[in-house]
Amino acid sequence: MRPVFGKLWLATGLLALLGGNALAHDRLSPFHFQSQGLLGSTDKAAAQRGFLVYETVCASCHTAKALHYRDLEALGLTPDQVAGIAAGVKTANGAPATLNDTFPAPKIPAGAFGGAVPPDLSDIAAQRPHGARYIDHLLTGYAPAPAGVTLLPSYYYNTAYPGGQLAMPPPLKADDVTYADGKSATVAQQAADVSEFLAWSADPNLDARHEVGLRAVLFLVFLTIIAIASKRRIWRETV
Amino acid sequence: MNTDVKPSWMASRMPCLGGWWAGLTTPSMAREAPYLAVLPWLITAGLVFLTASGLVLAVYYNPADAFASRQFIAREVNNGWLIEGFHATGTTLVFAAAYLLLLRGMLARSYRAPGELVWLLDIVAFALLLLVGWLGFALTGGAAGYWSVMNATNAAMLLPGALGALGTWFFGGPDGPGTLARLLVLHIALALVIFFILWLRHGAKKAATPLPAPALRVAFHPYYTAQYFVALVVSALIGCVLLFFYPHFGQSPLNNVPGGPLALATGAGVPWYLAPLAGLSALFHGTYGGILGLAAGLVLLLALPWLDRSGPGRRAGGLWRLLTWVLALDVLGLGWAACGAAGGLSGLLVVVFGAWYFLHFLVLTPIVTALEAQ
Ligand code: HEC
Repeated sequence: MRPVFGKLWLATGLLALLGGNALAHDRLSPFHFQSQGLLGSTDKAAAQRGFLVYETVCASCHTAKALHYRDLEALGLTPDQVAGIAAGVKTANGAPATLNDTFPAPKIPAGAFGGAVPPDLSDIAAQRPHGARYIDHLLTGYAPAPAGVTLLPSYYYNTAYPGGQLAMPPPLKADDVTYADGKSATVAQQAADVSEFLAWSADPNLDARHEVGLRAVLFLVFLTIIAIASKRRIWRETV
Repeated sequence: MNTDVKPSWMASRMPCLGGWWAGLTTPSMAREAPYLAVLPWLITAGLVFLTASGLVLAVYYNPADAFASRQFIAREVNNGWLIEGFHATGTTLVFAAAYLLLLRGMLARSYRAPGELVWLLDIVAFALLLLVGWLGFALTGGAAGYWSVMNATNAAMLLPGALGALGTWFFGGPDGPGTLARLLVLHIALALVIFFILWLRHGAKKAATPLPAPALRVAFHPYYTAQYFVALVVSALIGCVLLFFYPHFGQSPLNNVPGGPLALATGAGVPWYLAPLAGLSALFHGTYGGILGLAAGLVLLLALPWLDRSGPGRRAGGLWRLLTWVLALDVLGLGWAACGAAGGLSGLLVVVFGAWYFLHFLVLTPIVTALEAQ
């Protein structure tokens, strides 16, 4: 239901905006993530692809200390697949990682990136307003600095970043990764996928939360009706 | 019902239970109390709920590594996210009920004789609730909580004389590795003190409320059990909507960043229920400014029975009720501005809304109530 409505909205919005002129830069930006919205759920296929991007690109600078390899099973990977992924990763002491290891920290020379520290990404989608959408815009928001803006040395201009100057070099290049499902790995696609992955990482209980929540709310709506009816019935006897 | 005819199995073995049941079923209460009269009871029920969920959290919480242990609860403990959600959402509901209770007391002017003591106990319980809420916020170990603890300890140490000694005793010295362990104990202990205050309040309320003529009384059960049940279910419904669909309601995303000297917090970053007080404490400058704002805000509430010059027995006039509603909006606006929601205007708005708060109590209340009494 929802994605359909989302697309309708999007279409109307685009038409309204002068035939799409204002948003006409050609990127496949998903304006709506499946994880967004009142009844959103994790798009597991996108998050699996996003994990590949994270592992191949982001993990060379960032940590995600709250995640264990076993957690990836929640994205629909089998234990064997996850064990295979872990075995290909070296932990701090050089041994291959196991299911119960957390994602390792990359070694970054002190003072790299002009002193800026790449933040831990496990909760980044919860730490920034508009979560996944912000990350998506950040990863695709690099642009030449406009006239009048002097960039600090080794900083990059980014339209999504508050203040505009970011120490993270543009991380994504087209076809950095090869998707198993055959999707073409454009920068926009990778950005969207890794954003959905990070949205899941910050809120791994999203699906359960919305599932339980819908049932609880429906149940309580009926219980409210019954409670009010019984209260009125009981009080009627007093008058 | 017929406990006096033939004592039940339980009542003959545990007489106090029989008496308790008889008390619930004898007509002893006024008829058709409005729904909002259940607020004190809802607050108590909410606190019981918070105690239960807090107990589970306390089992896994580690004050030495607060943020990581919360991650553990939310990610590794079975249904830990749910329990954490219960605690956070329960807090929101209890505070909503507490703010409503105060608003209702003001609109009905129930703080006047013979209700002063009930009102005073309400404010004491409210102040304790705020303190316990703040302690819980501090325990999250997020960046906003971290800086709040840092500021509070610094301010408390700087207080002169006995107040400073009290502050030092409370926090155990400057913010350090042991501070959160200490605050955890206080969070739990003070939460239990609230129950005691509410019990006192219950007694005072009973004494201050005249009973209707016997013919007009009804029993608690089944009449009020049915009514309370409605209130409970509706609260649970509101709570579930928040818990499952807006789990971060009223919390700053800043607090999802682990606290530490490097994670700088901008703005107050406090949860919504502390925001109006954050506004009041931002109003005054200087070393003692923050504490002065907090204390003044609460003392004015305590003084309300005496700031109201209308004398006993008069119903609230229209102007007073209007002013009280304006105050409610003012407090909302103050909290909203204190969270920095108005961008560059926030600082100015905090001053405007904060000034209105003081104007309301110190100037408008005595004048308007005295005028309406004539
Ligand atoms: C070459 C190293 C490097 C790589 C690769 C990298 N980052 Fe970063 N990232 C950084 C640095 C450095 C910062 C800190 C920037 C600053 O504070 O100015 C950062 C900051 C961020 C932020 C925080 C921005 C904010 O609002 O503060 C996000 C989100 C982020 N990176 C996401 C990613 C994602 C997703 C990837 C993988 C697609 C990635 N990064 C790959 C170095 C990197």
